[in-house]
This record gives sequence, structure tokens and C-alpha cells, in this order.
Amino acid sequence: MGKYILKRIFYMLLTFYVVITLTFLSMKLLPGTPFQNAQKLTPTQLNTLKHYYGLDQPVIVQYGKYIWNFIHGDLGTSFQFGNTPVTSLLFQQFPVSLDLGIEAMIIGTIIGILLGIVAGLHHGKTTDWSAMILATFGFSIPSFIFAGILQYCLGVLVQIFPVAGWGGPMTHVLPVTSLAVGVLAEVTIFMRTEMVEVLNQDYIVTAQAKGLTRSAVVFKHAVRNALIPVVTILGPMTAAIITGSVVIEGIFGIPGIGKQFVSSIITNDYPMIMGTTELYSGLFILTILIVDILYGVIDPRIRISGGHS
Amino acid sequence: MAAAQGEITQEMFEPVGADKKASEQISRKVVSTWGDAFRRFVKNKGALFSFFILVFIILMALIGPHLNNYGIYNQSLVRSNLPPKISALSWIPAFSGKENGVDIYQQRGVKQDFWFGTDQLGRDQWDRTWAGTQISLIIGLIAALADVFIGVVYGGISGYFGGVTDNILQRIIEIISGIPNLVWIILLILIMQPGLLTITIAILATNWVAMARIVRGEMFQLKSQEFVLASRTLGASDGRIIFRHLIPNSLGMIIVNTMFSIPLAIFFEAFLSFIGLGIRDPQASLGSLINNGFTILQIHPYQTIYPGLIISLLLICFNIVGNGLRDAFDPKLRR
Repeated sequence: MGKYILKRIFYMLLTFYVVITLTFLSMKLLPGTPFQNAQKLTPTQLNTLKHYYGLDQPVIVQYGKYIWNFIHGDLGTSFQFGNTPVTSLLFQQFPVSLDLGIEAMIIGTIIGILLGIVAGLHHGKTTDWSAMILATFGFSIPSFIFAGILQYCLGVLVQIFPVAGWGGPMTHVLPVTSLAVGVLAEVTIFMRTEMVEVLNQDYIVTAQAKGLTRSAVVFKHAVRNALIPVVTILGPMTAAIITGSVVIEGIFGIPGIGKQFVSSIITNDYPMIMGTTELYSGLFILTILIVDILYGVIDPRIRISGGHS
Repeated sequence: MAAAQGEITQEMFEPVGADKKASEQISRKVVSTWGDAFRRFVKNKGALFSFFILVFIILMALIGPHLNNYGIYNQSLVRSNLPPKISALSWIPAFSGKENGVDIYQQRGVKQDFWFGTDQLGRDQWDRTWAGTQISLIIGLIAALADVFIGVVYGGISGYFGGVTDNILQRIIEIISGIPNLVWIILLILIMQPGLLTITIAILATNWVAMARIVRGEMFQLKSQEFVLASRTLGASDGRIIFRHLIPNSLGMIIVNTMFSIPLAIFFEAFLSFIGLGIRDPQASLGSLINNGFTILQIHPYQTIYPGLIISLLLICFNIVGNGLRDAFDPKLRR
């Protein structure tokens, strides 16, 4: 197990290094300049600016400096917001996005698991069908359309919730719901498949034959085993939440990283894009690592085969 | 033994003997894998219905822009922000050309009908919506091709050869998939101009990874089976074994996964265009149309509704058809 974890951590660091390098390289290949009204500047002014930001040095030197600073937690300063360090901007916006993402994930996962259990228990019946149809819709319809519908219906037509903003609990409802729908649908479909599979296993028949009550069979034997593989979709879910939050934050005017990311790209704010990209990738890679380790801990079969391979 | 008291004695019985021909005879019509899958798929009403909706959308995307001659780019401020109007269906409020009870067409003196209305610049939404649908479908097609030509080949090679080759190829995949898709695509968009070409390259670069993993797993399972050994004994080359034996055997799986990756790619294009990093004006994409409509959603909701409806239908139907195909091909359900 220890060897397995070490191996996973090594690959995680390798992947992260590749991300950092790729981000740097693509920034170097970027068209356009980071300076506003660059045409109006005289060559001397431009050179002074380039020198100030270290953009006149050879690429390899910039790269080395970049890695060195990165290790020390210095991601440079944003071109967009005066000279605010990227790290402090990220620290300022990340909690908002994290809040939004975690709320959506918790709500989506809990309701999804419950709905999946109910659908799985009524396999082939109306309950199952309706849950699956709802889940397919939730899974397929893009989150930005959901957000639009919710914002229009519950924010504009019937003014229950605020149209935009991020403050009290009421402002959380619409964005969190729009983001949670996708997660909910994915978890429901996954959980239902697992439940159907587990309920057909021999040990369920054994448990029933022993004369256990239905609730004991369902909760002690079926649900517990069906829950294990749900851990594996945590990785793809994190990616979906990251993608989703970029649009949701834009639509509801939430001051998080996603909204910032899009505007950084449009304004060519290199350090900000690099920082956000690295944060997203780091988060994603870390989730995959946690999932791998967690899965090894929960399911002994993985632990054994993982240790040998 | 106890019952042997009566008149029934052993002499009364004689063995019939097994009729080899009769027992080997196939009493029902032979059903091929494809025939079986087809039969199952057709039985699935939802999937069949979704399939027909998809066919309808694809046909409309192809012929829709030719049904009138406003064009995708033609602007005219006289006819800006007109609500949808179909004269033959004007008794339906949504197609009456009225907004808040006022007939905008009469007010502006516009004689023509705009079936889906017009946008802020007076461009015909009908033409633009179907042109956007074309983009979505092209993206779906590219994703399918990437799956088949990159994913299957990559996964096939990795799974078939195993060992060092597999190890190297899997490490590459691990790094590719360790980075969120969004980040990959945005890095690419930064280097090139946002547009169809960039999105295509991004999809070609990342979309096949799931397929490669699945095919690799299939290869591992199949390559140790007897028919592969038999083929190899007869002198078949590696390429022949992979492409003539192993891949046809996992074709059901490949088709199903292709069907699932198409809506993902379509969603991604719409998403990128929505946040302004995909297809840009004046070109039309469902995502960018929705984004344009969103700015005036409260005043002219029809500008968002139609592209939103079509992209939702497209994604829902692709997913339902994918589910139907999976059930049709799933070996666990087949008894």
C-alpha cells in the first residue's frame, strides 16, 4: 500500500510538472501583447516595460526563473489589476469558488445517491423510469441553460431569489442548484446501475434467505457495497464542477475564479491565466490522487492488485 | 425398484439412441450479433424515438438554411429584434409576431416572416440556429472520428503489445488525462485564434483518451483467448490480429462509447462559444447564439429559447440513443 501511494504521488508530481511547463510554453507562443495600447507606445517605452516584467530575457532563463518562483509560491503579478500578486488574487477568489463547488457537490451527491438507491430498488418500474428520464435530462442539458432557465423563472418572472450576486444564503440557491443538477444526474445514474448490479449478487439472496428484514438487506448489504464505486466518479465530477463554475459564475456574477479566468484570457493577463490553470490542474490531480488512495483503502481488492502492479 | 411389482418391466423399454442430426439442428433462425443488437435497439421505444429526433435535427440542419433566403450574415436594423412569426401558424401566440400584444411586424412594416425571429442586428435566427446546429454536428463528427482513428488505434496498440510499450503509452495518457479538459482546450485557444479549427485540434488532442482506455482493457481480455492463439499459429501478423480479430470483437463497445463522446464534444463547443472562447460572431454556433440571447433574455426570450431547445434536444437524444445502444450491445443483459 505504501509503495502504491508513493508511486501515485510521484506520477502526480510529474503530471503537475508537465502542466506547469506546458502552461509556460503556451504563454510564450501567445499572439498579442499583454500591454494595453501597445501600438501607441514608443519602442523605448515598450522595452522598458518588457524589461520590467522580465520579458526581454531568453526563454530558458524566463523558464528557470518561473519554476524557481513557482516553488517559492510567487506566481508573478497580474497585468490586469495594477501589480497585485496573482497568489493573493487567487487566495481572494478561490474560497468563493470552493464554497460554490463544494455546496453543489454535497447537495448533488446526497440527493443523487438517494435517488439512485430508490431507482435501483424499483428496477424496471415507473419510479425507476421517471428517475432515469430526469437524470438523463439533467445529465444532458448544459448547466448554462439550466442556469438561464432558473434565473429567468425564479429570478425574473417570480422574484423569489436574487437574479445575481453572492452574499446571503438566498443568493446561493440558484447558482448552487444549477451547478448541482449535473452532479446529481451523474451520481443518480451511477448509483442506480451499482444498486441493480449488487442486488443481483448471490450474497443478497443469502441475506434474504437468512431471513433478514428488507431494510437490513438493503442498507447493510446492498447500499454499502454499491457506494464503494461511487468514489471513482469524484474525479470526473471535480472536472465538471470546475468547468461548470466558469459559466455559472459568469451568469450569476459571482466573484470567483471561474469568472476571473475568462476575463484573464480575454485581456491576455498571462500570470493570471497561468496561476488559474495551475490551480485547476493541481486541484484535479489532487482529487484523482485522493480517489485512488481512498479506493485502495475502501476496497481491499484494489489494494492487493495495486500493490503488485 | 419398489414400483417394479406391476406389469411394467424393463423389457418394455428400448433405447431410442441419440439422433445426432436432430440434436445439432438449429431450430430457430440464426441471429447475428448485429441483428440481435438491432432487434433490442428497435424494441427500446425511447431510444428509437430519440433516434428519429436526431435524424430530424440533422436533416433540418442541412436543409433548414435553404428554406428561406435571408442568409446567416445579412443584417438590417429595420428588422432587428423581431419576434418569431409564421403566418400559417399565427394563431399560436409564440408564432404570432406579437410581443406584449403589439404586432411588431405591422409596427415596423415588415412583410416577410421570420420563423425564429431576428437578433439585435436583424439577422434571421432560423438560418443562424441551423447554421449553429451544423457546427455542433461537425464537432460531433470530429469527436467520433478522433475516437475511432486515434483512441481505438492507441488503445489497441497499448493493450495488444503490453509490456514496455503499454507502460510508456499509459504514462502519456495519464498525463494527458491528469489535466482537466478545460485547461487543455484553453491553452490551445490561447496559442491560436478561437474558432472551429482550434476546437477541432483540441478535440483531436484530448477527446480520445477514454476510448483508448476502454479499448486497451478489451484488448487485454481478448488477446489471451484461443482464437487469437489459433490465428497467430496460422501465421497472422500483429496488425491482422488487431484489426481483423480483436477490434471487430470489441466493436459494440467502441460504437457505444463513440455515441457517448459525441454529446460531450458538442457540449464543449457550445460551452466554449458561450463563454466567448469558441466560435465567434459573425459565425453562428448554438453556444454563441445562446450567449447573445442571454444579454436580452428578459426582453426577447425567444432569441435564447430556440437555440437552447435544439442544443438540449441534441444532447438528450444522443445520450438516450447511446444508452439504448449500450443496452443493445451489453453482454450482461444478453442471455
